[in-house]
Amino acid sequence: MAQITSFDRRRVNGPDDSFPPIFSDEDQPGSSSSSPLQRESRKPKDIRPIFLQTGLITQANGSAYIETGNSKVVCAVYGPRQAKNTSYSEKGKLNVEVKFAPFASQRRKVPNRDAEDRSLAVLIHQAIVPSVRLELFPKSSMDVFLTVIENDGIQSCGTAGTIAASAALADAGIEMLGLVVSCAGSVMSNGEIWLDPTTRELEHSRASLTLSCMPALGLITNVSQTGQVTPQEAIQCMDACEERCSDIHMVVASALHKNQSAL
Amino acid sequence: MNQDDNILLPGQPVTIPNGAAPDLGGGLYLKDGVIRASLVGKLSRVGNTLTIPRPRPHPPAPESVVLGSVIRLSPLQAVISITVVDGIPLPQGEDFTGVIRVNDVRATEKDKVKLGECFRGGDVVRGIVLSLGDSRSYYVSTARNDLGVIFATSEAGATMDPVSWQEMRCPKTGKLEKRKCAKPDGL
Amino acid sequence: MTFAEDSAGPSQTSIHEASTYQRLHPRAYLEKFLEEGIRTDGRKTSDWRDVQVITGSISTAEGSALVRLGQTTVVCGVKAEIAEPALDRANHGFIAPNLDLPALCSPKFKPGPPSEESQILSDRLNDILITSKALDPTSLCIRPGKAVWTIYLDAICINYDGNVLDAALLAMVAALRNTRLPAASYNEETNKTTCTRQNSVPLQLRNTPYICSFGLFDLTHLLSDPTSFEEPLLDTTISIVLDQTGQVVSVLQEGLAAVASENSNQILRRCIEFAKQRLIILTPKIEQR
Repeated sequence: MAQITSFDRRRVNGPDDSFPPIFSDEDQPGSSSSSPLQRESRKPKDIRPIFLQTGLITQANGSAYIETGNSKVVCAVYGPRQAKNTSYSEKGKLNVEVKFAPFASQRRKVPNRDAEDRSLAVLIHQAIVPSVRLELFPKSSMDVFLTVIENDGIQSCGTAGTIAASAALADAGIEMLGLVVSCAGSVMSNGEIWLDPTTRELEHSRASLTLSCMPALGLITNVSQTGQVTPQEAIQCMDACEERCSDIHMVVASALHKNQSAL
Repeated sequence: MNQDDNILLPGQPVTIPNGAAPDLGGGLYLKDGVIRASLVGKLSRVGNTLTIPRPRPHPPAPESVVLGSVIRLSPLQAVISITVVDGIPLPQGEDFTGVIRVNDVRATEKDKVKLGECFRGGDVVRGIVLSLGDSRSYYVSTARNDLGVIFATSEAGATMDPVSWQEMRCPKTGKLEKRKCAKPDGL
Repeated sequence: MTFAEDSAGPSQTSIHEASTYQRLHPRAYLEKFLEEGIRTDGRKTSDWRDVQVITGSISTAEGSALVRLGQTTVVCGVKAEIAEPALDRANHGFIAPNLDLPALCSPKFKPGPPSEESQILSDRLNDILITSKALDPTSLCIRPGKAVWTIYLDAICINYDGNVLDAALLAMVAALRNTRLPAASYNEETNKTTCTRQNSVPLQLRNTPYICSFGLFDLTHLLSDPTSFEEPLLDTTISIVLDQTGQVVSVLQEGLAAVASENSNQILRRCIEFAKQRLIILTPKIEQR
């Protein structure tokens, strides 16, 4: 049994090895995978309600907290700060870092080993970087830090992260072309398209697509798709996501308005 | 859709009041013939320039007035840690590094400047940003009457008062110390 | 500078002037306030910030809590896993408390491995949980020598505005009290532990430790519940750990209080007195749940 020892002298350690509990009566509703697939509490093209609040992290230059259903992400923006250890650059640099709280997922994430998610960070970076006017920030860097507090659908962590990051950048007073929002959809095993899937629903998905855009300008900033789909399905899914994005844009707008008038 | 129609959001088109086309200042941009906001905030007009003012900390730019404390001195330059830009303090730990080269200390008799007689470590200096400088620091100048040391402690540890543009007095010991002083606001 | 006059008005300028002074001369700024008997956020020296505790909002955790102490925010979640006990303690479970201070919570911290401060605080929190005998390790035993529960107690600071230790312990204790473990049984034949979703039992705490921290400024002003602005200016920080009955469990001191003088005794006594008063506010926040 080859083991990676999880001992870390910088932390308070538990035992060398531990396992998540195994349940004898595993799963009641989702396991009925033979029965026809049907969404339980919402329509296929519905997304979970979004709660967004900016400015909660007073230590940061800008911040946002977002909940979509059970998925919870918190985001802080620092900077523009002096870019350290880099050569002279006419344009500012945007860094994105995503971490998972150890308790954010069904299986515990061990800090240092699997708590950081590069791919999610890259996705969020690609989604927001076209919106930021980096040419106004020579020699500076802007750091966007995200922590996933709870993950209910990995796609929703990406979309919520993107929305939170853009709202936090706006809260930080960093100049941008427009607000970026994001929506994800899955093509289910029965061919239906379900928007904003939960972890449980993703078990039955064939493919997933995340679309990020600036609704004010009618521009898409990023599309990311995994799994197997026909071109038609992909386009259908993009259309559905884009339609939903204008609703999400309203949520972001009202959150920023609310925070601005509270000042 | 908005509770407060006066607050613009990034990407929102801006309708220009009638009259001559204004100049665009910070917080606005022109793309495909449409003027849009790039910040959250209210439109403000200063002269013929339209801006969305941003009261948030921002990095130094040429012409910015900065405050910083001297952290390193050499015969050629004084290195300052910039903590206030255009009257807005930067958050703790978010300082920018600035450099005052020996030629940028004062406007006259530049070749006679001895940096040790202008600044000491820990002095708080008011300066103006000349340029973005090199990869590490911004170039800052104190070559103006209102620029220079605005706060310094004497060898005895007291806060000194300026007596001329190149001397300060310690209130405890009465000793004079050399500094390139900024002209106090009231004078 | 130039735009300050038009829309923002003069009040904006004076706010910036005050914050510029605060930034350049933090010590003198605080001194000026304390001469008037108040602190920079308007509190009296012995005032605490409002505290808010929300439990059970994270469904992926066996127990969770969010604590806000003024602006300081800490979220804590419990993950329970099953492990083999140590050979010399066949019926003892494990508890691993950690406090993460990510780059997200303050410009003080940079991305990367845990900072020195988070290591120190994690150690301290571990010590407090052990010395206060909060959790009986034998209550985590499923089958002696074979299977025990491991409680991973992970606290994350979301906003670092001072006195994170108090907020973190409160979050940890609230999360532990909120925790339910699934009913588990060990099968001799298969050597496996299985759990059921039907049944769960709340984690039993023997004691509930509370911590109250104070800072000493200029060796004269005793500040309860210091903020992140005040903390770097303090000569000494004193933390009093009490259990739910008001018994002192431990006293932590960092930096020199006026050690030599008899003053120090008085200061310590005052801290303990204040901490006991504070307990009256803190207890219902935790025990109602």
